[in-house]
Formats: sequence, structure tokens, C-alpha cells
Amino acid sequence: MTQPILPTASGAAAQAAPAPAEPTPPNPIAALEVDHVSRWYGNVVAVNDISFALGAGVTGLLGPNGAGKSTLLHLMAGLLAPSAGRVLVAGESAWRRPAMYRQVGLVPEREAVHPYLTGMGFARLNARLQGLPDPDAAAARAIAAVDLTDAADRPIGTYSKGMRQRAKLAGALVHDPRVLLLDEPFNGLDPRQRLHMMALLRSMAAEGRTILFSSHILEEVERVADSVLVVYAGRLAAAGDFRSIRRLMTDRPHTFTVASSDDRRLGSALLADPSVFGAELVGGRLAIRTADYDAFTRALPQLARANAVTLFEVAPTDDSLESVFSYLVRR
Amino acid sequence: MSVVAPLVDVTLRGLLSRRRMILLILLAGLPVLVGLLVRASGGHPDAGRVLDTLVVRTVMPLVALIIGTAAIGSEIEDGTAVYLMIKPVARWKIALAKTLVAVGLTAALVIPSIVITGLLLGSGRDLTTVVVGYAIACLVGGSAYAAAFLTLSVFTSRALLLGLAYVLIWEGALSGLLEGTKFLSIRQATLGLAAALGVNVPGSSPPLTAGVSVLVLVITLVGALLLASWKLARFEIRGGD
Repeated sequence: MTQPILPTASGAAAQAAPAPAEPTPPNPIAALEVDHVSRWYGNVVAVNDISFALGAGVTGLLGPNGAGKSTLLHLMAGLLAPSAGRVLVAGESAWRRPAMYRQVGLVPEREAVHPYLTGMGFARLNARLQGLPDPDAAAARAIAAVDLTDAADRPIGTYSKGMRQRAKLAGALVHDPRVLLLDEPFNGLDPRQRLHMMALLRSMAAEGRTILFSSHILEEVERVADSVLVVYAGRLAAAGDFRSIRRLMTDRPHTFTVASSDDRRLGSALLADPSVFGAELVGGRLAIRTADYDAFTRALPQLARANAVTLFEVAPTDDSLESVFSYLVRR
Repeated sequence: MSVVAPLVDVTLRGLLSRRRMILLILLAGLPVLVGLLVRASGGHPDAGRVLDTLVVRTVMPLVALIIGTAAIGSEIEDGTAVYLMIKPVARWKIALAKTLVAVGLTAALVIPSIVITGLLLGSGRDLTTVVVGYAIACLVGGSAYAAAFLTLSVFTSRALLLGLAYVLIWEGALSGLLEGTKFLSIRQATLGLAAALGVNVPGSSPPLTAGVSVLVLVITLVGALLLASWKLARFEIRGGD
């Protein structure tokens, strides 16, 4: 799988968070680089010394309300000046450089879109402002990509929340940007539209684009993102593949359910292993608690074979993004 | 400059909302209505006095205030300005397009009001001088007002209130008390320009000279455009958290 979060030159992303299990070599063509960026408003620190670099792929930006996600996205979109550090898009500063927007598309969180324009009119406005040679064709392509063709000629003021969201996305896609930033893009979408948008983001990432989106809906992040950036209280709490992050948090218990030919015998054997600190029978299955993911996953098949127990199923019970995020926020 | 056209287009469409246009047309029609009433009541028509009192001192600044503060201020307020900011368009072009629309729309409302009111109330050989003099002065003065109020709306969300305070307090109440305020008054510069064009401007104190009037209006117009461009180039849009 693509690993879009790259170590920065200073390696600060890795210091700020549990490092990815297998750090990728530095990528000189990172589409987006955030280098020791802070942003404060008076005495309030909204973003605190964050560093990471993104290459092609879909990355989810996670964090509770007020964590600094939107501030971070606006810094990357060149809509806010960093108080310290720098944001680079394709190697050049994002702040006060309008030419950057040829490579960047942004879907802001605020719902407001010019209500007197039609969906097609809005996409065409974006295409004309991008200086595209054939704005009508570009607008039609973007409208089709977001599945809004049927309502393209209706004023946006009559749109549902989900339709407005798709119109905003069409406006951001119209110039085929290399980097796409989306602030809560799944808000207001019905399940079918969500699946469509997920597929769209994935296909765009597969074409080599860098996509970063914020969301509170962790299951969606888990389903669509290759990697996550977890932001808490303005700091980067974690960065990388979320399962890798999860495995690195060795001080956090991992739980597995195991179904085998002899759960009691296997449970006794596992309790003797130093990687396991709890085993109990729950609902006819063996529930194991371990502090060392790697040691346990190595020990389990060896112990099963040594005790002549057949393993039918081994499943992690808490390896959801929700549990990773909750743990990081509590820490 | 090809991006200026879509900017002008979207700004015009935003400004021409039904409610705002009704308000503006009513405001611009006020001098015409007064002219009709004077005619109907058989009073002594004095085009110069009505144009000075109603257009230069009231209608022109208010029309320019409503249009100037809405041209970009309403988009900043409702969040749609972000779609203009995230484009590969130099911010001075955004300021220029918005100013062109505000200036043009102000002129489109104020100049016909002057011409119709003048024709209703004026007579004799001075009529052309009065109408043309006020029309040209208000074209320049209205442009300065619109540009100044537009720039104010880039700096503050309270532009409408501050603009109203400028027109009513600075140019209205204080101009009669403090002689020096007229050098910082778009109204006085407009009246000075009208006087230079041959209009007999009513008032107790002599109007500004033609040179000073033109200087004040040009500095206001160009300065406002430069300031708006400068501010937009550094314009920040905060995230939701």
C-alpha cells in the first residue's frame, strides 16, 4: 500500500508521533510539506510545531473539535500565514503565492456557495478563474465526476447539503489539481454519495494525487485513507499507517479473540508467555490481552503447535481507528 | 486580464439581489420623487439646491456605501470569498474587479438620478452646467466613495457602520464645526469639483479648489484600490477550529 506520509528532512514528524514501523526514505518530490509549523492567535496556540510531508495517496486528518484540523488545512491551503515554520507545496511556499492554486484544490468546511449560481455555473466560474482554455468542458467533466449532472442547471440555493458538498468538490476538481485538501467532505452526504466520494478520492489518489481530508467519521477515514494524521490540542499526536501506529503503542493493551480446537489448553499456554498478561473465556471464545503485538503474533502459532491445538480464527478486537484515536487523545 | 471578466460577472450577480436592488432604486429615486413633488406643488424649483442636498450629501454616499461594502464584504462575511482567494489570480485583480463593479453600479444609479432630477427642476441656460457639473463631480466622487467603502469592508466587518459614521458624523456634523475636516471629506472634494465645473455650490464656506478636489478624489480612489490589494494579498481565512 502507498505510504503517503514521508519523514521530513529534519525527521520531526517521527519525533512528534510514534514513528511508522518502516520509515520510508526521504522523498524529494513531496507534494506537500509542513515544516515545524505553528500558528497562534494572541495567546492561543492553534497549531503547535507540526511537521510532516505527504506524497501521493489519501491521508485522513483526525482530531476532536478544536484540535486544529481546519487551521492546519487552511495553513496548507495558503489561507493562513504560519506564525512559525513553513508550508511548502511542490517545494514552494504556500503563503502569498496565488500561482500555487494551479496545483491545489480546496473544499472548505463552510457550506456557503454562491446561491445564485447553478452547480454548472459554479464549476464554470472556478474553471474561468483557473484560466483554463475550455472552461465549459472542464466544468462539465467536474460536474460528471461528482455525480451532479442531473442537478447541474439548478441554482445552488436550492441544493441539499450533500449536493452543495458535491458542487464544492466539483469546483475544487475542475483544474485537475495535484493536491486536494478537503475539510469534512463527507458532511451531509447520504450513504450512496459517501461511497461515490470514497471511490472518487481513491481513484484520484491512484492517479498519483495527494489527497488530505479531515473527518470525524473514523470508519470512513479507515475505509478510504491510506494513512492518518492525528491532531490533538494543536499537536501532531501520530502520523502514518494507523495499524502501524497502533502496533507501536506498546504500552497500550491489544486484545484478540481466538477460536481454537481447545481454548482452555491454549489459554493456559498463552498465560505462561511473557507477551500475554490476560486470557479469559468470553462467549465461547478465548479473549487475550497483550502488551506486545509483534511478540504475541509470533508466539501464538508456535504455542498452538506445541500444544497440538488447531487455530480456527484469530481476530484483533480493538484495532479500529476509533480505538487508536481515543487512546491517542487520552494520552 | 481575462480573469477580471468572471470576477466582475460574479460580483454583479451577487450585488443584484432583489432586496438590495429595490432599496438602491428607491434611494436613487428619492431626488426624482422630490423633484416631482416640487413640480406638482408649484414651488420654486432649484435644481442646484436639490442636487446638492439630496444627491451629493445623501443619496450618493449611501448608494456607494451599500454597494461598496457589499461588493466584497458580503462574500467575506458569508464565506464565499474563499473561492476567489484559492485561485491563481493576483489579489490586486480581485480588488480591481470588485472596485470596477462598485464604481460602475454606483454611477449607474446616481448619474440618471442627477439627470432626471435636473431636467425636472432646472430651466434656463444654467441647467446644462448644473446637470453636467454635478454628474461629472458625482461620477468621480461616487467612485471615490465606493472604492473607499469597499476597502473599509476588506479591513473590517463593521464597514457599513463605520461608513455611515463617516458620512453622518465626519462629513455631516463635524464639517460645519471644524474647517480642516473638509480636506479629508469626499463630499467637500465632490462639491469643489462641481464648483470648478461652473456649478454655483450652495454653502457658507468657499469650496475646495479644483486642484485640491481632484487630488483628494484621485488619492482616495487610487489609495483605496492599493490598500484593498495590499490587504487582500495578506488576507487570512481562519479555520473552523
